[in-house]
Amino acid sequence: MKNQNPKIILTFFSIMIGIFISTQIKMKLETITPITIRSLQTMKAEINAINNEIAELNNIIKMKEEELALLENIAKGDDNIINILLEDIQYNKIHSGQTSLEGPGIVIKMYDNPAERYFGFDLNEDVIHDVDILNIINDLRIAGAEAISINNERVLSTSEIKCGGPVIRINGRSSATPFIIKAIGDPKVLYAAVNAPGTYGDLLKIYEIGFETTIEDSIYIPAYTGDFDFRYAKPLGKDD
Amino acid sequence: MKKFKEYIALTIVSILLGIIVSLQFKTVNKTLGEGILPTQRAQQLATELKKAQNERDLLINKVDELEAKIKQYEMSEVDKNIYAENLYNDTMKYRMLAGYLDLEGPGVVIEINDPPVDLEYGFGYSIIDELDLILQVISVLNAADAEAISINDQRYTSFTEIEKAGNHIEINGVSTSPPIVIKAIGPPDTLESALNLKGGIVTILRNYDYLVQVNKENNIVIPKSRKIKEFIYANPVDENLD
Repeated sequence: MKNQNPKIILTFFSIMIGIFISTQIKMKLETITPITIRSLQTMKAEINAINNEIAELNNIIKMKEEELALLENIAKGDDNIINILLEDIQYNKIHSGQTSLEGPGIVIKMYDNPAERYFGFDLNEDVIHDVDILNIINDLRIAGAEAISINNERVLSTSEIKCGGPVIRINGRSSATPFIIKAIGDPKVLYAAVNAPGTYGDLLKIYEIGFETTIEDSIYIPAYTGDFDFRYAKPLGKDD
Repeated sequence: MKKFKEYIALTIVSILLGIIVSLQFKTVNKTLGEGILPTQRAQQLATELKKAQNERDLLINKVDELEAKIKQYEMSEVDKNIYAENLYNDTMKYRMLAGYLDLEGPGVVIEINDPPVDLEYGFGYSIIDELDLILQVISVLNAADAEAISINDQRYTSFTEIEKAGNHIEINGVSTSPPIVIKAIGPPDTLESALNLKGGIVTILRNYDYLVQVNKENNIVIPKSRKIKEFIYANPVDENLD
């Protein structure tokens, strides 16, 4: 008698627990997802991002309202449409990379790993690839770079950076190592964006790819030299 | 003597445990606020989020209205004067280049979905951790003469950054998450074959188990950039201004 008792009790409780767990899963999982500190934090981050967006939209609204006020002045005869258009052109010219720019920033010099290797060594990790440069450019943009050039080619939204045999093509022109990347912006932030531990620039150093950053007070970044010809894209709402 | 040693060990462990528990408690309290249950906090945050989203949508509507009004005014003024008309056309051209104008035209649409979650092991990975793949797609599109590109309806401009933030992506400071839809206006055939090149970027993505779809389309709409980029450090060099 004494020998059988615990087994029966154990079986009984196991069945009970099984029923509890299964009902619990069926009841709850559909309606409530578990709340973790992490999920709360991501939610908070999302709210922050949207609030930033709202702040930016408010700025845009302010700008547009000023523009509207100016235009209304024209109607009254106080101002001239020509001046406004000239200003607009100037603004968009600068933002589309049609003007050379000057300002403080950083200069990055990247070159392949200079170590001597025996013939037949897989050199893939020793040379700079397009991905490396793309990542550096993205990091610089995150840090708020205002203008970027690679080997004196202005990097714009339409610039491709692509490996092609021994060279990398940028804006349809060939560039070879060493790559000189110049960026105008807050020098300290830019410097940190590519040198702080854990950044992509820091990672390159593990592969012993040459990566030298210098801060400079005045950097000259040339205008985009190619010509834009939009053959396919048209402003929305215009049929031709 | 043996008992004494045991006591010391027990005390040390207890003290450590106490410190760890209190630390944990503090961090939890810090993120939640004091005396609030996690569920309550989650609901609070959810309503806050909804409110913020509504406000944003309202503001976007307002901006659209203002822009329409401005355009009306401009057009009515521009029609009176040929010089002004030319200038206006120039303005539009540079706005197009800078990404401050909605564009439409033929091109390709690429949709990148995260790999399906492995049911056996229960973990998956996401494009969020491999943002350079997106950068490469854009570079390929640009190499194939794309004229305008957007990622999840965010116009890709010269200042567009793609940044990982928690478990989503920020593009132009706006948060989005997979699937990633990249639209590009340009020669559709060239764009498509550049992407589908043997061993090219689509192959690479598919090797990583991403679900990739490339479609040619006759009419793609790419929205303008909504971000104001102010130049604080860069100054135009005078000689090239005119």
